[in-house]
Amino acid sequence: MMDLFEEIAERTAKTLVTASTTFRPDQMEAYRRAAASEKNPNSKWVLESILENAEAAERTKFPLCDDTGIPHVLVEIGDEAVLPAGFLKAVEEGVARGLRELPGRPMAVKGNDLERLSQSAGLYEDSGALLMAPVQVRRTVGDEVVLTVLMYGGGPEIRGKTLRVFHKHSADVVIEEMIAWGKEAAKLLGCQPCILAFGIGRSNLEAASLGLEAMAKGDFSRQSEIEQRITDGVNETGIGALGLGGNTTVLGTFVKVGPQRASGVRVVSLRTGCCFDPRRATTTFKFQ
Amino acid sequence: MLIRTPIDEATISELKIYDKLEISGTIFTGRDAALPRLVKLIESGRLEELGIDLRGSIIFHTAVSPAGIGPTSSNKHDIETSIPALSKAGVKIHVGKGSLSAATVEALKANNSIFAVNPPVTALLTSTIREKRVVAFPEEGMEAMHLLQVENFPAIVAIAHGESIF
Repeated sequence: MMDLFEEIAERTAKTLVTASTTFRPDQMEAYRRAAASEKNPNSKWVLESILENAEAAERTKFPLCDDTGIPHVLVEIGDEAVLPAGFLKAVEEGVARGLRELPGRPMAVKGNDLERLSQSAGLYEDSGALLMAPVQVRRTVGDEVVLTVLMYGGGPEIRGKTLRVFHKHSADVVIEEMIAWGKEAAKLLGCQPCILAFGIGRSNLEAASLGLEAMAKGDFSRQSEIEQRITDGVNETGIGALGLGGNTTVLGTFVKVGPQRASGVRVVSLRTGCCFDPRRATTTFKFQ
Repeated sequence: MLIRTPIDEATISELKIYDKLEISGTIFTGRDAALPRLVKLIESGRLEELGIDLRGSIIFHTAVSPAGIGPTSSNKHDIETSIPALSKAGVKIHVGKGSLSAATVEALKANNSIFAVNPPVTALLTSTIREKRVVAFPEEGMEAMHLLQVENFPAIVAIAHGESIF
């Protein structure tokens, strides 16, 4: 039992480090394409710097961004899979180990409710003291358990929102509203090109959770019609990388549309991801 | 353009938006926790308690931690509202990211100070650090004010003399 705990913890730790230090192939390719087609020389410099940074981070196992982010975990459990006792405890331990190994930025806030709100009792020096967000769970087929670690930086949290949209029985109304949100948020973000992640559900919680799923599954090389339309719409602003102008304000968009309520309302959640999003990696367990 | 600290008024007067900078010398760091405290010390005439001179200086809006350095959003309330007082106290270049308000653009102009941005490329930016030490507010942890010795630290001018790229 101890060996299994160790295996889960170690693989979770490694997955967290990979998520924080490594661009995936589709991410690298999206940046290469963007840098090659960018006409604005200043924005081109930013895009090339991001690529150079990704190569250096992977080579040296150093964080892509000093805001190493809040760990979020998605667990997909196959119908035939059996979770070992203590699975989530081992994942928590793995997250703490991964943060220490990375190293993550020591930004866990000390104190009781009021002290944590005002940040008046200081910070923990231990990177591993940063607790992960509540785990998201999905059912899937098969006998495997797939664990995805996503690291959520702080800048996108300032520019994200979850709110109702009155759809007026038109998908176009919803999509145009999403483009308007993206334009407004991209202007203020500061670390463009941004990666827009949307979840659309029946409640605020469901929409935000679907947004996480969009980030966990999104692929820059496979953009749906809705995703491409939003990317193109926001790129019309010409804000460009770092706000320097150009045609790469948004590198890509990820959208997850969930089940909907019989109502004139859709609940839309936007995470205005920064240039390194989604920082994610996945590991698969097969427990006997 | 190569910039070496401390920076004189004439150098700042020459800089324009979109100018690329390579900074060598010393830069201070500060963000949400440290900068409002620094402004309070300035306003109460107690800056000398820290033993630092802000005249001709650069402040980079970042944390400093084992995870490296990288610009945080300068348009957060605690950071942006510190820019006018710090400029008046002699800070010549504020480095961060994100657009700033028209009022801040005016305050920078009034003090012949500028705002520059750089991409949050932590692995690259951290490699420009030669030395670092805490100079104020150590109890703020990663948000403490540090003094960094850097070589060829990159940035690009975003706001200067009333003009803004945003």
